[in-house]
Amino acid sequence: MTPPPEHVHWLFATGFLILGLALLAEAIVGSEIWRKRTWRAYLFPATFFGLGLCLWPVMTFFTNSTIHMLAHGAWAETMMLAGAVELALVRGKLQNPRWRLAMVLAFLVGGGAFLVHEQNGWLFQRSSFLHHLLGWLLVVSAIVPLARSFRPRSLALGGAFALVFVTMAVALYSDRDRAPVFGHISPEAGIPRR
Amino acid sequence: MKRALLLGFAGLALVVPAVAHAHAALVKTVPSFRERVETAPNVVRLAFDESVTPLGSSIVVYSARGRVVSRPAHAAGPRAVEASLRRVGAGAYTVRWHVLSRDGHVGSGVYTFGVRVAAPPPTAAFGASGPTPTEHLVRWAYFLALALLLGGLSFRLLVLRGPLPAAVEQRFFLVAGVGAVSVVQVGVLAFILRAEDALQLPFGRLLYGDLSPIAGGTRFGTAFIAMTLGYALVTALVYLSWLTDRTELLWPAFLLGLGFASGLSLSGHSASSLGAELADWVHLSAAALWIGGLVQLALVVWPLAPELRRRAFAGFSRLATGSIAALLLAGIYLAIVRLPRVSDLWSTHYGHVLLVKISLVGCALAWGGVHHRVAGRQEVADTALGRLRRSLVGESLVGMAVLLVAAVLVDSKPPPNATGSVPNAASTRVRSKNSTGSGHLAVPGGRAREDAHGRDSAPLPPSRSPTARVTLVRHV
Repeated sequence: MTPPPEHVHWLFATGFLILGLALLAEAIVGSEIWRKRTWRAYLFPATFFGLGLCLWPVMTFFTNSTIHMLAHGAWAETMMLAGAVELALVRGKLQNPRWRLAMVLAFLVGGGAFLVHEQNGWLFQRSSFLHHLLGWLLVVSAIVPLARSFRPRSLALGGAFALVFVTMAVALYSDRDRAPVFGHISPEAGIPRR
Repeated sequence: MKRALLLGFAGLALVVPAVAHAHAALVKTVPSFRERVETAPNVVRLAFDESVTPLGSSIVVYSARGRVVSRPAHAAGPRAVEASLRRVGAGAYTVRWHVLSRDGHVGSGVYTFGVRVAAPPPTAAFGASGPTPTEHLVRWAYFLALALLLGGLSFRLLVLRGPLPAAVEQRFFLVAGVGAVSVVQVGVLAFILRAEDALQLPFGRLLYGDLSPIAGGTRFGTAFIAMTLGYALVTALVYLSWLTDRTELLWPAFLLGLGFASGLSLSGHSASSLGAELADWVHLSAAALWIGGLVQLALVVWPLAPELRRRAFAGFSRLATGSIAALLLAGIYLAIVRLPRVSDLWSTHYGHVLLVKISLVGCALAWGGVHHRVAGRQEVADTALGRLRRSLVGESLVGMAVLLVAAVLVDSKPPPNATGSVPNAASTRVRSKNSTGSGHLAVPGGRAREDAHGRDSAPLPPSRSPTARVTLVRHV
């Protein structure tokens, strides 16, 4: 028995919300203040790494199509990779700041996977809309971690980076398994569940 | 307190992951996956979560002998398709389905059910093919990755304990990390290839194939789930050990890795008796420790730490002696179980492959013996010891060749009268004609078939053969 997709979306959204709020707090108060408590420096990368690890059960238990399985696997791997790199940078195991480009890779691969595996149009139903939205959000906003890898202390970039995660959380919280979007739902999508 | 609350909240969010959905997914079938029914069903019905367009061949039901027992499928509501069945008797049946999804893609799947008999797993459905040469290579890659991971971890924990020079530690983690990541990646690839065997679809359509009956309804699928999750965790532990410089984290990684390696044995052709499963696991684990340790000697210790060579070699010799003893004992036991007659060695395909493997193992053991004699002597100069590296690489390559032959052997079928050799003997009406010896209750896909009397034959379902692709296009 697997839980309804919307439930897991909401719980996963909670993880992204934590990430977004932590990053937003860091952007507002500045890294020097934020990192006065050592554990705070690890909060974002460790949570990101953990979320990637937790995507593996999704890959293995939701196998109703190969493309879904591969998309979930791609998210799991890139999130683990980017989280691991960020952790190693905080810990000092990696020194070169260009390693931060791993986050750009995670955004691009993650967004690409959303777009490739959603085959319906934007207004087919809500989950289709959210897939397109999340896919394009990640692909377009990959510019943010890219710029951040060159200007890590920029307040504006830090804030934008945080808002990407908050937006992802909002999108995932909005998901329902079968629901209209802006009043539209294709009759072929089935009857809305509520 | 605040920290505890925050950590608890974060932990809760991490417990349950997310899922996405796009095209029509199968939500219910009648009869259900691998269901054993006492009364023959009149109809097979598939329900989807979105509307689908039925095709003429949306549902085709095959008997164990390949006879089509279903009539053309038709819509049963906007999101369901059904096909009525002719009178069917006791036996195993295979349902192959293809529907046109709203997004324009053809979703496909296969599952089995049994009438008064247990249903075989979908990987043994009618029309499923056996392991291909690609799968031999993938299994080999899996064994190599396991050797890098498990052999590397055992080497670090049992042979080179304690602090190491930074460069050596870094190289060790690199090799073990490559092994850990590869185990997960190659495992996913192996699962998809096995699913492809069952579904018999070209890659483009396999992307929309339903893998859930294979993931959830076969031992191979269960092993895939357990091993993917297990080795993802092992990868995380190895990474955290590197990150935090805590070698003790390698112990749970090593023990979990060893434990999850049993998934291969539980899903392989030895999966019929506890003794064979245990022996298979011991055999595989011992080989991984031996060959992985050799790789560590050749790639890590010899080039980077001349001062550690004698200590490492002495420690590895002890580990290798134990590993090889376990490997030989388990191997002899498995050979006796699978080849009850000595003549099977030269009269069966399985025996031939085993002979090649034994020869290679003998070669590797002799090579290792020479190394032991040379490196074990205290009077050998360090420069002479340094020249052993190429030889160690050579021995490692022979070990890897052993793993390649082992991969072919695992995918081969022992002689049919060997005890515990053929799994999934769910139905006496389903016979294996698979010359590749996969243990499948099926014939190779894409070939015309007929039974011993020339009756009851039917074309196979769409497969990856060119001819079958033409058929597929017509159906779509």
